[in-house]
Amino acid sequence: MIRHKLLAFAALVPLLTSVGCNNYLTGGELSTDPNRITQANARLLFEATQPNLWTFLASDPARFSAMFARQIAGVQRQYQVIYQYGISESTTGGFFSGLYSGGGLVDLRNVESLAAAAHDSVFLGIAQTEEALLFGEAASIFGDIVYSKALSGPGTNPPLDPQLAVYDSVQALLDRAIVNLRATGATNAGPGASDLAYGGNASKWRRLAFTAKARFYMHTAEVRGSAALAAAKTASDSGITNSANDYKAVYSGAAGEQNLLYQFDVVQRSGYIAPDPYFVNFLKTRNDPRLAVYFNADQSDINPTFLGTATSGNVPTVLVSAAENLLIAAEASYKLGDQVTALAKLNQERSTTSLPSALAPSGYTLSTYPPTTTGPALLQAILDEKYIVEFLNIEAYNDYKRNCYPNLPIVANASAAKIPARLYYDQSERNVNTSIPDPNHQPVRNANDPPNATDPFGNACIGQ
Amino acid sequence: MARLFGRSGPALLALGVLPALAVAQEARITGRVVNEAGAPLANASVGIAVFGSGAFTNADGRYAFVVPSGRVQGQTVPLVARLIGYGAQTRQVTLTPGTSVQNFTMVASALRLSEVVVTGAGTTTTREKLGNVINSVDSSLIRRSNEANVVSALAGKAPNVEVRTQSGEPGSSASIRIRGYTTIQGTSQPLFVVDGTPIDNSTSVTTASTGGTVTANRASDINPNDIESVEILKGSAAAAIYGARAANGVILITTKSGRAGQTRYSLRSDITTDQVIKYYPLQYEFGQGSGGNAPVCAAPGCRLTSASYGPAITGPVFDHARDILRDGHTYDNNLQVSGGNDRTTFFLSAGQNRQQGMIIGPNNQYTRSTARLKGTHQLLGNLTIGGNANYIDTRGAYVQRGSNVSGLLLGSYRTPANFDNTQYLDTLYGLHRSYRYPRPTGTSQTATRGYDNPFFTAMSQGNKSELGRFIGNLNIDWAPLSWLTVKETVGGDYYGDYRLEALPQSSSSQPVGQVTRNDQTYLQLDNNLLATATHEFNQDISGGLTLGQNLNSRRSRFQSTLGQQLIAPTPFALQNTVSYTPVETRYLAHIEAYFAQANLDLYNQLYLTAGVRNDGFSTFGASNRRATYPKGSIAWAFTNAFNPDQRGLFSYGKLRAAYGETGNEPGVYSDATGFSVGQGAFGSGYGDALNATQSGQAGVITPGTLGAGNTLRPERTKESELGADLAFLNQRIELGVTYYNKRSTDVILQLPSAPTATGFTALVTNGAQISNKGLELTLTTHPYTSDRLGWDIGANWSRNRNLVEDLVGAEFVTRGAGSFTGAVGSVTKGYAVGVLRGNDFAICGRGLVINAVDIDAGCGAGKEGALYIDASGLPVVDPTDRVIADPNPQWIGSINTALRIGRNLRVTGLLDIRHGGQVWNGTKGALYNFGTHADTRIRNTAVAYGTSYFTDRYPTVAGPGAGKTFNVGQAWWQGEGGGFGDVSAQFIEPGGFTKLREIALSYTLDQPWVSSRLGFSGIDLRVAGRNLHTWTKYSGTDPEANLGGSAVLVQGIDYFNLPQTRSIVFSVGLNR
Repeated sequence: MIRHKLLAFAALVPLLTSVGCNNYLTGGELSTDPNRITQANARLLFEATQPNLWTFLASDPARFSAMFARQIAGVQRQYQVIYQYGISESTTGGFFSGLYSGGGLVDLRNVESLAAAAHDSVFLGIAQTEEALLFGEAASIFGDIVYSKALSGPGTNPPLDPQLAVYDSVQALLDRAIVNLRATGATNAGPGASDLAYGGNASKWRRLAFTAKARFYMHTAEVRGSAALAAAKTASDSGITNSANDYKAVYSGAAGEQNLLYQFDVVQRSGYIAPDPYFVNFLKTRNDPRLAVYFNADQSDINPTFLGTATSGNVPTVLVSAAENLLIAAEASYKLGDQVTALAKLNQERSTTSLPSALAPSGYTLSTYPPTTTGPALLQAILDEKYIVEFLNIEAYNDYKRNCYPNLPIVANASAAKIPARLYYDQSERNVNTSIPDPNHQPVRNANDPPNATDPFGNACIGQ
Repeated sequence: MARLFGRSGPALLALGVLPALAVAQEARITGRVVNEAGAPLANASVGIAVFGSGAFTNADGRYAFVVPSGRVQGQTVPLVARLIGYGAQTRQVTLTPGTSVQNFTMVASALRLSEVVVTGAGTTTTREKLGNVINSVDSSLIRRSNEANVVSALAGKAPNVEVRTQSGEPGSSASIRIRGYTTIQGTSQPLFVVDGTPIDNSTSVTTASTGGTVTANRASDINPNDIESVEILKGSAAAAIYGARAANGVILITTKSGRAGQTRYSLRSDITTDQVIKYYPLQYEFGQGSGGNAPVCAAPGCRLTSASYGPAITGPVFDHARDILRDGHTYDNNLQVSGGNDRTTFFLSAGQNRQQGMIIGPNNQYTRSTARLKGTHQLLGNLTIGGNANYIDTRGAYVQRGSNVSGLLLGSYRTPANFDNTQYLDTLYGLHRSYRYPRPTGTSQTATRGYDNPFFTAMSQGNKSELGRFIGNLNIDWAPLSWLTVKETVGGDYYGDYRLEALPQSSSSQPVGQVTRNDQTYLQLDNNLLATATHEFNQDISGGLTLGQNLNSRRSRFQSTLGQQLIAPTPFALQNTVSYTPVETRYLAHIEAYFAQANLDLYNQLYLTAGVRNDGFSTFGASNRRATYPKGSIAWAFTNAFNPDQRGLFSYGKLRAAYGETGNEPGVYSDATGFSVGQGAFGSGYGDALNATQSGQAGVITPGTLGAGNTLRPERTKESELGADLAFLNQRIELGVTYYNKRSTDVILQLPSAPTATGFTALVTNGAQISNKGLELTLTTHPYTSDRLGWDIGANWSRNRNLVEDLVGAEFVTRGAGSFTGAVGSVTKGYAVGVLRGNDFAICGRGLVINAVDIDAGCGAGKEGALYIDASGLPVVDPTDRVIADPNPQWIGSINTALRIGRNLRVTGLLDIRHGGQVWNGTKGALYNFGTHADTRIRNTAVAYGTSYFTDRYPTVAGPGAGKTFNVGQAWWQGEGGGFGDVSAQFIEPGGFTKLREIALSYTLDQPWVSSRLGFSGIDLRVAGRNLHTWTKYSGTDPEANLGGSAVLVQGIDYFNLPQTRSIVFSVGLNR
């Protein structure tokens, strides 16, 4: 009997152990994720940083800016609410984190370190220029942002850098980028064709870096005065002067690869936005031919050809332009007392760069201003021109915050008494970073932008 | 093979008489089983469990079986007779060669203490010995529910088993949650096991959980008519034998088996009419327009306002809550044949469930065809082999829904009442027209319509699924020694699910057209080996030891290809598109586990069980490859000491206590971090986006989530359970009480990471803690039972308190899937899992300072909780993101009753109650914006918060403008007073309900003429109603709102959800 029992147990042992070896739990697809790649080079990562930057400069931040600057009106749904100044912690839904996460700072730093390791200074300079554009513009929207201590590791609650310190860091980064973009050795291959904007052309990137410097000096001009204006003027002299060299988001036009505004206004959210009557009227009273370029015949929507053809939104979005560069030079020169240069730059802009040639209808010209245009009339001409040419660019809003020009009226049914001067940090960041104050304790305005009592021409500032 | 001598008639033990084989040394045991009145009892099982020998009684109550000579050694063994509704009878018999007559007189017992309960991984016990709660749902209860989906059929059947059906649409999913959430990854669904083999019950979305089409939970492939019983293992003590797969509970399904005797035939047909329970409340007075003005369409191609704030309608009115819906129909036909002889049994079934949904047009259908063959054969006296094969063919056609401008109800409910949607193609070009684009131009084939005309949506989309699935197993039962049995079960679950979601040209969400081809294949193989030794030390002390091994392999392939821009309008095929984006996801996961379980039965009243499972999972981090889950329980039937006949005022009492641990495995490959390839889109949340693959590039990005690395451990749930089962008044009243307290630790979360700190938005890590505490009561009464009349009424009540105790430092984790802008599902510390977050208006007492205004100062003292009203008479937006709703009910309960009149007429009913819980009525918010909601009839009238507007939601007000009237209308509803404003909290509504789930009247024709004239042993006739009535305060179509279905953890989201249905069922069953 005992023997029978033992035999039965003995028979069980091999059954229980025959497959019981560790190999059953490891090896092959048990241990290695078959779905994801684990290695990436600088070009592959750059190809992602590029659309991330373009999306930040041309998607929601640009459209919100254009609504606050009253170029377009939000007429439906969430956009109507934001147009009426209804903003909350969720308004920035993700584009704050996009500054840092995949395609943002983490991958820009990946590109920079891979480029540096490969002794490719041109590539390094290009990535640095992208980083500067991204964070300078972020500082203009959010004010104080996490930058110097960014990517310091889990649980570090990286602090906010003061906005003006961010601008200083960005200027220093652009200085290094400009040096790197002058490199000529054999290792400086750059991104080449991966660079959809400039094809890896270092001198074009260098001009972009100078214009970016000019832009961010102007952001600080309200608090730093003539020093910033002079620096902006100097930088602009080396910046973009030919609209063929504008920094643009380019699109293939295939489905899902279209002009971002086309995707928003035509494909995804038709009817959310319309031309703001304020801007339409602004163009009409100035008899500006761009009215017909920007908007359709009855000014009920964006002009489709401004975005692309009926089925393919392939018109590039101008992000940093020769026009901006020249008008910065004009405004800075005027404010530094050099009205001759100011007028020359304004007229150069109006005659050569006020509209990318691809968009200009036949016979399009802008008149130039006569030498008699001086004083406030000249300043207004410069500011008018910049407000118009920066249509749907965050800079129109930044200029408004700085100058209170145009002296925008409050929208109807507004949920706040003043035009928003900054956006809240994302709630998802506040959830995990104790350095981010709750909305009750966030400033109403950013450091570079104290409220203007009046517009440049002495009228009480309505929106600030 | 899971149960020995179960209610169902265990095929392997169904031995008949073996006279031809009988030789001198065999013992032949025979006899008759009767009730107290002496009437014969059929289908009672009589047998010797330790040998696996036994038989069922025939109609005359007689049984006979043979014990092989090798086992007849003059020893004494227990012979047990069992029948549902009677107490088990045990008699010690001495085995000697020759015939022994053993007659039994069974005593009726409502307690079902001797009922065999499947306890998982091949183990069984009897109900009396259970030290923890296992709820059993038998075939008649499944059948009464009239649900095609077995998960929906469990609604209201057991305490703390919360079922939510996604919608009334055919092929939609149902989610089930047992004793609250223990996890925040995945969807908290329990493990499903069919006849000992785990099956897949995933719900995988085709394109979007809040848009796209509904998708089924895969357990719905099981034909409910094949099910003999469902056992719900709720607590960790019950489920520990499944280790790291069991923290969400386990659903054990046992299918029907054949039994020895005459071959039985059953043919049943159900015809069901499904009607929408409630239509959405819309307004029919004001037409399309804005500011009271109607739009003018001056020329083809005009685009008109989306709003219905135009003038009063003077012409015809169209009802867009109803015009695209109709009555649905379901046809369910099942044929079952079963039988066998002394060595072989079989069960054969074929069934088809064909549903035509409530949406007009050809694209709202779901058909499930199933076939099953189950059989056993006794090869040797101590060796039985068996097999079970189930093939399922499921096909569906769907209409897109939810948050989707090409979704059905979004387009329908937003349409002004003066626009006729039925004319969805224009007469000139035959192109799609909608109220926002009523006059298409000839070249508008690829232009948006704003929102799709719902008739176009219903008629023209191409959304389909075709699934073929095989579930089966092979098993061996071997009893080499009188005290030892060995069971081996090898099972498999394989399916291929081929799906298509296609948007034709001119669809508003993708005007150039799009095709998504989505193919999923899944294979799960499972091997379970079990050896059980039993020993009876003496009459009072017996015990058993079970050792087992489980090997499991799961392989999944998910291939989805998005083809964009149709070349020609049809066909909906990838080669007819311009560009393709493929996504492929594969995984392979293995389990190697060992388990042991010991039980000791003392003095027929004290039952001890202890067990342990050691799990090795390939999904655990490399340095934590194995985990151990212990359990133990004690049950003390204390009344057996002084009241062995279980009668009298205090008929029966049992106390039980149990402790167990279970786990939840990490998501596959969540230890790893790679780069994301091109599909990682950069966009705004409004649909405009750029890919890293832009212009033919190959960009890659750092992914959002950092993998956990080698140290990832399974989640662990530790649960204590205390309870009592009591019976009074000769078992006329039974009461069950259970309290449990469980804490889940090492809960895996995608810990939100500050991107500013790491570049990642989340880090996979262990560490969250969740607790659940609850109370469960079941009451069953049998007020009257006689031959002529029987009445049972029962109730159950339960509550669960779920609390997120720790999130590794984070305040909350959002659950993106199924969530909504403004009403985001979340796991928030200090709240229950699944609360919704968003913005509210400024409320007094929250310490708010908004735009430099101190809200509390403005409210004045003692106004905490009041709505702050500013000088204009309007509330102001609080920009702070916060918890705005908890969809979890405060308690759930049900009341069921069954009335039998005579032998043949039965009336049954089930009331399902869910008390508390909130729902976000996003549909209402959106329709305020568009001016089509019934509430918007009051446009342009003076109202005041606190007295005449939104008083249910905000009963008290304070602040400088409290009581001040304002003119409510388009401006407010299209701003912060509507669904596209910031304040989603204003559209939170109470989500509690009481539903009349089931009511049925059935009659069985079994008079002699039925058999003699018609040749049937019985004819069942039945009329039933399902979901006939709902009592609720919820203003939308149904508070059981579940936009994402069981594919998502987040519940309580209503955004253009399809309504639920009520059904009337007529059924005829022919038996012989």
